[in-house]
Amino acid sequence: MRAYLDAIAAGYPTVSPALVYLIGMLAFGALVVFVFILPVAGITSWVERRVWARIQSRIGPNRVGPGGFLQWLADGLKNLLKEDVIPAAVDVPLFRIAPYVVVAGFVAAFVALPFAGSLIIADLNIGILYISAITSLVVIGILMAGWSSNNKWSMLGGIRSATQIICYEIPVGLSIFPVVLLSGTLSMQGIISAQGWAPTSWHMFHSPFLFVSFLLFFVGALAEGNRTPFDLPEADSELVAGFATEYSGMRSLLFFLAEWGNLYVIGVLVSTLFMGGWQVPHFTDNGVVLAVAQFATMFVKAYFWVFVAMWVRATLPRVRVDQFMTLCWKYMVPIGLVNVVGTATMMVVLPQGSIVLRWIMVAMTAAILVQFARRVFFHLRRANYGRLGRISEGAA
Amino acid sequence: MSLELEFADGRDVFATEDMVLNMGPQHPSTHGVLRFIIRADGEVMRSAKADVGYLHRSIEKIAEKVGWHGFMPYTDRVDYVAAMTTNQAWAMAAEVLGGVTVPRRGEYCRVIAAELGRICSHLLAAGAMGMDIGAITPFTHAVRERELINDLLEELCGARLTFNYMRIGGVAWDLPPGFGAKVLRFLDHFEPYVDELDDLLSGNKIYIERLANVAVVSRERAIAYNLVGPNLRASGVKYDIRKHLPYSVYPEFDFEVPIGEGRHGSVGDCWDRYIVRLHEMRQSARILRQAIDGLPEGPVIAKVPRNYKPAAGEVHVHVETPRGDQSWYVVADGTEYPYRVHIRTGSFAAMAMIEELSRGLMIADLVALIASFDIVAPEVDR
Amino acid sequence: MSGYVGNIVESVTSIFDGMAVTFSHFFRRPYTVQYPDRMPVRVQDTLPYRYRGFLEVDLEICTGCLACERACPIDCILIEVLKDKETKQNLLVRFDIDLAKCMYCGLCSEPCPTGSIHHTREFEGADYSLESMVRRFVLEPTVTYKPKKAGEDDPAIVPILERGMRYVNEFAVPEAAPKAPKKEAAPAAKPAPAAPAAPAAAPEVQS
Repeated sequence: MRAYLDAIAAGYPTVSPALVYLIGMLAFGALVVFVFILPVAGITSWVERRVWARIQSRIGPNRVGPGGFLQWLADGLKNLLKEDVIPAAVDVPLFRIAPYVVVAGFVAAFVALPFAGSLIIADLNIGILYISAITSLVVIGILMAGWSSNNKWSMLGGIRSATQIICYEIPVGLSIFPVVLLSGTLSMQGIISAQGWAPTSWHMFHSPFLFVSFLLFFVGALAEGNRTPFDLPEADSELVAGFATEYSGMRSLLFFLAEWGNLYVIGVLVSTLFMGGWQVPHFTDNGVVLAVAQFATMFVKAYFWVFVAMWVRATLPRVRVDQFMTLCWKYMVPIGLVNVVGTATMMVVLPQGSIVLRWIMVAMTAAILVQFARRVFFHLRRANYGRLGRISEGAA
Repeated sequence: MSLELEFADGRDVFATEDMVLNMGPQHPSTHGVLRFIIRADGEVMRSAKADVGYLHRSIEKIAEKVGWHGFMPYTDRVDYVAAMTTNQAWAMAAEVLGGVTVPRRGEYCRVIAAELGRICSHLLAAGAMGMDIGAITPFTHAVRERELINDLLEELCGARLTFNYMRIGGVAWDLPPGFGAKVLRFLDHFEPYVDELDDLLSGNKIYIERLANVAVVSRERAIAYNLVGPNLRASGVKYDIRKHLPYSVYPEFDFEVPIGEGRHGSVGDCWDRYIVRLHEMRQSARILRQAIDGLPEGPVIAKVPRNYKPAAGEVHVHVETPRGDQSWYVVADGTEYPYRVHIRTGSFAAMAMIEELSRGLMIADLVALIASFDIVAPEVDR
Repeated sequence: MSGYVGNIVESVTSIFDGMAVTFSHFFRRPYTVQYPDRMPVRVQDTLPYRYRGFLEVDLEICTGCLACERACPIDCILIEVLKDKETKQNLLVRFDIDLAKCMYCGLCSEPCPTGSIHHTREFEGADYSLESMVRRFVLEPTVTYKPKKAGEDDPAIVPILERGMRYVNEFAVPEAAPKAPKKEAAPAAKPAPAAPAAPAAAPEVQS
């Protein structure tokens, strides 16, 4: 990124390089936000609704565009045109600014997210640390929204969010530790470079500790994204809509934009840390083709985890606040500590890792997937579905 | 600068006060128009006081003005989630007063309709329970199954919610041709579905943790508060009107009365109340199979005059609705209008108990508690 | 410690199975009925015969007996019958049904001797005013129908009466009454096989 800007600055010697940097970064940031983040967040909302619908024996949005694909645009447009109600007794400045803080928190995470080998806005040398720090800004926004709404349900939601961050940040940090130990770097690109394209070279399959770490990270990331089973701050059946109760129109949508956008961030993080990120076999020397292939790999991996998060949300009930704390402090933190120590010990005993162990881990995962498929077939066989009544006959 | 520890009016700066939360009348998980006034210390409730009356439609008074036959559609509205059993209660009360005997086929039709209605109601209860705990999928699955029952009942009586199927002396329509086969086909589909619900929801660890040991109602308290139906049985009391004060043709059927066993916690917790309903659906399916197998021939309704005038007297009938023993106290004065009708419903007793149970629970538990009692607001207010 | 590990194992296995259930739904057909526009047939045509939709009155076979008006628990039916002095005929001058009041209970169509007042399978009645929900069936005074002892012979009325009797036959026959309940009108159904066997008498079909 800096190289491109340097080249541009060299072309305009009369203009101060700082100004070129500023304009260049702003333009690039806007490009990323409008060309990538907004559509991805929007499309995620459509995918989520379709996935839920199929799980629930429904069809989901299918009217706007092919298969309802443009539903997200229609929703966004509708919410933009809606009245932005600001209730009389709210703390107006905080109330207005809170959604922007939330969105800023998640957009800022994209600064250090790798898209491909050569595509990253800034490969910070503290990449993963930066991301886990900056995404906490979302919680500040939620707390602001909850408090300023002057609504007790909202406030409970905000407070829950604050409670939640204290609980999940530590296990998430502990589950990142083993990866950092293995890679020897905090930089996102560095972590990816430490892995290969083959599953056996992924961090996830390095050892049982890393596998458990991966599970811990995913659970923690769900909590970070306010996703069921940890959607305590908005818990719609308990707190009406939690911190978003008093919001309407586009401000309300911004919260959900951040939620759906965060899903993609979670996906990228999981695939970066544990699944080899954008790594593809080096099949061509053409840099552009390679970058596209890497981007596609990254996107597919990330979106797979987005899908899993949706699927988890459609399956699981919500935990209670105290149970969430129990889960984090009594289960995830000790297990995370064991993982850190275990990985460190592994690295002393087997500095190069063990390819046999890696294959065993891959085989084990495959066995889990096979068992899963068997369960799915069992459920399909048991439910002699689809041959009933008027409703199923009338279905398209 | 001195440290001010008091406000100008003498209150302690550090004094804390309870938060008063108003849950309802419009709230996503109050199952109708209910209102709870919650006094809470953060997430932990000191008390949750139920405020009823938002759905009062003076149905009991209407009975005194519309006559014996004309009141039947109103009974649908007493408990609109399970209208069949309420229909049956009114029909039974009027029949006892007028000395009408229902033909056997009529009784069978009633049982088939009522048990389908019971499954319908329990499905909604189980699904809404999941929904309130935060699992969105079981609800849509339950409603999907419920739609199939609604299709059946629609074929039977022409309506999907307010059935108005039963009449004094029997039922309004005989089973349509092929109805029994359709019910059996539905049951073949439905029973695996209940098992699937077990796998999806009732066995889920998070779900169990949310419900087990929450709001435990002991056997004694359940009886003291006059809980009825699944709520009472979940506390370990084996009491089912269909078994213990038998009416209609229920004695002819072989079925069990499931009670709470406290598998994941204490007997009488929210999870027990949930699982008892699930087991009852299976038992209803059993009754339905037997009823369709043993369906007798003959008429379905007795000859009852249009201008029905039962002799003066009073009667108290009990019917096992999905929400428990619904008892109807009806006084007749020999005219074509009932003199007085009083309905005692299961939701009302459960509602009264919430205030006691809510102490010390968290707000998230209150939602589970309301759902586990399967409170239907119109039945509370009538 | 065993409880600790047990909790973890139980959580993982139960969530695993729940996820399998939800995943299996990707291979099942959705049940959604895309009312109203994306249906193979109109939804009204899929409804069963007994469906209680809007009330309709066939004035050709209305006897003006007021049984429906008396049966209605909420008085949403308003009928006026006048006696024509010259012809000694009963004249229906008013037959209004307030569909905004109607609760579709079906109590009115039950006592109707000819099936004149009956429920249709129509239910889409959204309108802008309550007044327009009042269906006025009598546009000009109409002579009430008189059942004929010998059976109906007017070719204009026979199909209507057949339809009405088929509707009436759908209702259960009381225990004490003989099989053909409406003596005066029953012969009308004879010429055509329109009136199916009364369901009360039809044995339940089992498969």
